[in-house]
Amino acid sequence: MNQTSSDPILQVEGLDIFYGAFQAVKKVSFQVKGGEIFGLLGPNGAGKTSTLSAVEGLLPPNAGSITVAGYSITENPLYARANLGVQLQSTSFQPELSVAEIVRLFAGIHAVTMRKDELSAFLANIKLEDAAGKRFNQLSGGQQQRVSLAIALLHDPPLVLLDEPTTGLDPQSRRQLWERMEEMREKGHGILLTTHSMEEAEAVCDRIAIIDHGKVIAVDTPQSLVEKHRNDPEVVSASRKGKITLEDVFIGLTGKTVRS
Amino acid sequence: MQTIIPSTSDALKSLLRADFSTQWRNRRAVILTLLVPVIILISWKGLVDKLGGAYVLATCITIGLNAIGLMGYSNSIARDRDKGVFQRLRVAPVPSWSIMFSRLMVQIVMILLVTLVVFAGGYYFDQITITPLGYVLGFVAAFVGGAVYLSLGQVIVGLIKNPETVNVTCRLVYFVFIMVGMFGQLGMLGKEVGEAVKWSPYGSVNRIISGCLKPETWNQQTTWALLVTIGYTIVFATMGIKWFKWNSRS
Repeated sequence: MNQTSSDPILQVEGLDIFYGAFQAVKKVSFQVKGGEIFGLLGPNGAGKTSTLSAVEGLLPPNAGSITVAGYSITENPLYARANLGVQLQSTSFQPELSVAEIVRLFAGIHAVTMRKDELSAFLANIKLEDAAGKRFNQLSGGQQQRVSLAIALLHDPPLVLLDEPTTGLDPQSRRQLWERMEEMREKGHGILLTTHSMEEAEAVCDRIAIIDHGKVIAVDTPQSLVEKHRNDPEVVSASRKGKITLEDVFIGLTGKTVRS
Repeated sequence: MQTIIPSTSDALKSLLRADFSTQWRNRRAVILTLLVPVIILISWKGLVDKLGGAYVLATCITIGLNAIGLMGYSNSIARDRDKGVFQRLRVAPVPSWSIMFSRLMVQIVMILLVTLVVFAGGYYFDQITITPLGYVLGFVAAFVGGAVYLSLGQVIVGLIKNPETVNVTCRLVYFVFIMVGMFGQLGMLGKEVGEAVKWSPYGSVNRIISGCLKPETWNQQTTWALLVTIGYTIVFATMGIKWFKWNSRS
């Protein structure tokens, strides 16, 4: 790895992203350390997806730098991506392929050697040993998420990006995923999580960045954010039950207007 | 921890295995691609003496190539782009060109298959035989011609992001190409249309394949058709690559 143990796994510094004349991301900076779950929260169109796409190396930044495990995503994209595991919102696998074929494909393109018995153990670990021959679209939503997350972790990356991973999951599957995320944190993975669920952010994130109109407007632990803003008039007016929650802080800081 | 990235050959091996498995699972579409040229071979049996064996084979191969580039390739690219398949692959430590190279290799095998089936069907149904050199050059011409339709498919997925719209557009272009192409070349749509078809992607590909299958008939017009075909490929490929977006939502 191209870094020391005290360095952050992900370093985003002064990131600017433009779409034509429109600036979607404005001087965004944050770090994710190993063994940390970092939440990136923001209303629709706030710049989360653009930031995430730039971290994934899919969108070239107009200014600023992004390093993953010490590798610049623009100068050493393959090495940076090799240190990255990504779980996307969309289905994102060829529907004709079986679960085993998908695992083999991603093992191959991440330089992970996987024998037949190792593949069986891999699937058994995510409780899908009987689904090896099934097509991905024949799996339930929870099973698809398990496959997707397991593939993101296949090459044991130091940084894992989870893009709204619990959307559409039932409470049991969601809890199970939170436990997996906590296990990953214990193993030293840094996790960058985007979510619209304040409950999720409060439950699993060590630190949170709130992004709005392309700018990071607050970065702290969920508890500190609540403490720091509990007396803000906008936050108090957003509160529904008297008790100030992270959601109240989020709405207080980003406004009540529904974004498209 | 040491950062390991896969060798290009290992990455390509994995991509090719997955892409060929996908193609194998889509056997019905593959069969349909092969079926249209075979139906023409059977239905044109009575025209072989009049039109010439090489012309009949060339027409069937051209129609097969149309289906590969316009129906198979472009639709699979549009669908996978929409589903986020490319996004997922592109965050892996593999160069983006290898993802597209693997897709194109599948289509090259399809071109080989269509040409083989047309040669075998031409012999079986219509007793058409050509020289060994003609068969060899026929494969070469099929690859050159196939490139035009693959790059045209690339233009369509470059211009249109919605997979359903890509599908409809490709069907329309395919239908126009084969109907206007076939009937126009036979002079059934008038002289002007016939001349336009002659230099269209359909007509130029048809003529170079026909010329290769019967090398003794190759003339200056065929050389011009070859140059036009290469020109179409360069223009379409440049436009298709320039306009192509890996993500249908960007």
